[in-house]
Amino acid sequence: MIGRAGIAVVSLLVLASCHKDVGEEEVSVSGNTPFALQLPPGFPVPVTPADNPLTTASVQLGKALFFDPRLSRDGSISCASCHLPALAFSDPARVSSGFQGRTGFRNSPTLANLAYHSAFFRDGGVPTLEQQVIAPIHDAVEMDHDINLVAAMLRDVEPYKQLSQQAYGRALDAWVITRSIANYERTLISGWSRYDRYVQGEANALTEQELRGLQLFTSAELNCTSCHSGFDLSDHAFHNVGQYLDYGTDPGRERITLQPGDVGKFKTPTLRNVALTAPYMHDGRMPSLKHVIDHFASGGLPHTNLDPEMRTFTLSDADKADLIAFLESLTDERPLDQVP
Amino acid sequence: MRYIHLASLALVILVLAGCREDESVKPEPTTGTLRLTLVPEWEGQPMQRFTEYRNISDYRMTIELLKMHLGEIRLTNGDADAYLADATYWDLGNGPVSQEWAVAKGTWPAFQAALGIRPELNYADPAAYGPGHPLNVSNGTYWNWATGYRFVMFEGRYDPDPASTATLISAFAIHTGMDTCYTELDLTPATPIVIEGGRTTEVVVRIAVDRFFYSSSDNIDLATENTAHGNNVPLALKFTRYVKDSFSVQ
Repeated sequence: MIGRAGIAVVSLLVLASCHKDVGEEEVSVSGNTPFALQLPPGFPVPVTPADNPLTTASVQLGKALFFDPRLSRDGSISCASCHLPALAFSDPARVSSGFQGRTGFRNSPTLANLAYHSAFFRDGGVPTLEQQVIAPIHDAVEMDHDINLVAAMLRDVEPYKQLSQQAYGRALDAWVITRSIANYERTLISGWSRYDRYVQGEANALTEQELRGLQLFTSAELNCTSCHSGFDLSDHAFHNVGQYLDYGTDPGRERITLQPGDVGKFKTPTLRNVALTAPYMHDGRMPSLKHVIDHFASGGLPHTNLDPEMRTFTLSDADKADLIAFLESLTDERPLDQVP
Repeated sequence: MRYIHLASLALVILVLAGCREDESVKPEPTTGTLRLTLVPEWEGQPMQRFTEYRNISDYRMTIELLKMHLGEIRLTNGDADAYLADATYWDLGNGPVSQEWAVAKGTWPAFQAALGIRPELNYADPAAYGPGHPLNVSNGTYWNWATGYRFVMFEGRYDPDPASTATLISAFAIHTGMDTCYTELDLTPATPIVIEGGRTTEVVVRIAVDRFFYSSSDNIDLATENTAHGNNVPLALKFTRYVKDSFSVQ
């Protein structure tokens, strides 16, 4: 006869053995389903970090943070202030204005197809999208804030409080902010242009003029595709295209590698939505596509590190117009933003 | 009656034994504490921010910021190492700073560290380090555009004219970082460090900040060498050498 006391003891032991440590307690992640990323036909599935799966809650959280000016010290600058959705998440200013109107020294690039990049910033100094997030928040000429202070300020504010738990099972902190914004940026996929429809077999997707421009673009003489190739129209590599003889305070890739052979090298930008992303080049010094074409036609300045693929060519005004028409066909026919 | 007396005696002995503190049972501490104190000085006196000094070039100058990371802090005694910290952060702008570690008691003939953070840590994701961690981004040492830490941050203002009385305007900012500036430091005192159980042993390292501008063979001319922010490696390396040489151990 065990008796009531014995049953109670056994029950307590059984319950105790089932109990999880507080630190191991699972947090409800209801609603945190995998995000259904829409990809253009033929695009590979982007690789996401093992510790940051692309989920609905994470991209919603990232989007909310991306558009929140409270990420800046005086509450005036959000990520979207310098990466405008209507301009393929680029900035029409030569260099963006940050906190208190301070300016940096590089043009804000489009954020399209960052999911496929393996190095970030124009010099490739940052290896992951997650780590990239810290830079603008802390940069004195951008948001001039502190990611830990941002987290503390927004931790108990909705939708951050709920989404952070849903997405990552923890309160908003630097880790969550970097992960979620990176995931939102991974959803900014570009590949729905008339050019894409043409590539997919829709012969009438491009006009005659645009087709002439495409022919020029892919010609051996212009050699554009030696760098602007593949589904993202970029090799994501670093090249010196002879913008300057002396790169002065912005040596590009050399800033990271400290190798003299990397002076003046910058990451090849995608040409997707290029008609929307003026001004051009790493410092935004070229206001129009015509200026860019003229520069490449010149073969670039004879810098020591000038890329060997740079070569001179001659184009008539009509050719230039055709080439520009083709480049304009690379504009997406739908918004990049997929997150409701 | 005799039995009563014996029983009473036994009871008294038991009570006394129960009340006595058994010192032989109390374990002797097997660890002590090592306290490392960094003392920034200018020509042997406590360094003061915003105080006007004259450097080796006779330039008027002030110091506004001095931060550094020491890594791989360890004691060795030939048989075993005591690894104390892989990364530490020191904000020396307001004077001496101390940090402490528990160390196994014994005699430690060597005390070493690195000026900087080893590459595996230097390039790790800083979002993983919460508030209070030496590598937390709030310390302001993270080089966010290059995913690494500034090993030494030294900032202030200067005027090359020693006769001037004008307000110091020209700024200098020498930041070292990247793997090229990682360098070993020998913090071994003249006599071996003895750690006694339950006690604190202090090692005081004086940093002669005035030595940040020169060595026996060359010097830094702030008029032309005033900025290293990843883009002036020769200056960063020279400055690293001077900082290393500025350390003296008590």
